[in-house]
Amino acid sequence: MNATLPEAAVQQQFDDASQQKEAAMLGMWAFIATEVLFFGVLFAAYVVCRWRFPLAFVEGSAHTDFAMGTAETAILLTSGCLAAIALRQIQLDCARQSAILLMITSALGVAFLVLHGMEYHDEFEEGLIPGIRYTQTGPDARGVELFFSLYYVITGFHSLHVLIGVVLLLVMAIRTWRGTFSSAYYTPIEITGLYWSLVDIVWIFVYPAIYLVGSAG
Amino acid sequence: MTGQPIPSLRSQLAVLAALLILLAASASLSRLPLGWWGLVIGTVIAIGQALLVLVIFMRLRHSHPVMRMIAVLSFAWPLLLVALTLGDYLTRYLLHAPW
Repeated sequence: MNATLPEAAVQQQFDDASQQKEAAMLGMWAFIATEVLFFGVLFAAYVVCRWRFPLAFVEGSAHTDFAMGTAETAILLTSGCLAAIALRQIQLDCARQSAILLMITSALGVAFLVLHGMEYHDEFEEGLIPGIRYTQTGPDARGVELFFSLYYVITGFHSLHVLIGVVLLLVMAIRTWRGTFSSAYYTPIEITGLYWSLVDIVWIFVYPAIYLVGSAG
Repeated sequence: MTGQPIPSLRSQLAVLAALLILLAASASLSRLPLGWWGLVIGTVIAIGQALLVLVIFMRLRHSHPVMRMIAVLSFAWPLLLVALTLGDYLTRYLLHAPW
């Protein structure tokens, strides 16, 4: 597709547009690999702590908002689909539709952040923030504190990624609306979509690890 | 990389429906007292959802083999990390918590 990219837009180190696109995609996948490793370490810490303090993690998870977490997951999954359709639409030269879809995807990202902010607020009120406002007592209070420490590190870094994704999607939506992209050149939209899918995948694993541990109790 | 097929709208929406059904299944099953099986089921469903996103939304199915290789390795490495870390914790005497 991108082989029809105007010759002037091909950087001098590449033979042609196709090679330039392959390099961009390879770079993005290498970046995704580093991101997976980053979150992988956090999940490894989670697995060890959960193995060590299973009851505390059940109790900690029971304090999280199950309905809110499920809604946030549905929002992210839907936004991932819209980003994929936005890429499809630009491939079909429907730039306006693609821009609108990117805008909606970005808005869903904002909705996710707002819901998560509300969760953080509720947890602050409940005294569940280690080091800032932690008022839990009982035999598993220290283990629950560990659960919430991991919870804030994992969801905090994830939310930071969502925020970056929201900005990227907005920029892509504006550039698409202005006609920067077409079926001849859409690599930045494709790369942004890959990033957004990564944000999705991380959350897919965060959801059962954080919200579903204690819901049966 | 050139000439990448354009997926149909129907296929994209079907995947979204599948993801939401899996989410509903995961959320519903977590309400049952399944013990450690709940963890196993939740993890399997999450892996299924992640594969759908990787293959369909991230278009790995039609990607260059190098991209697919990087994708597989990037997820295999943390699995190895968790497996080896757990291997350590499961096979040695655990120190008591300091509280």
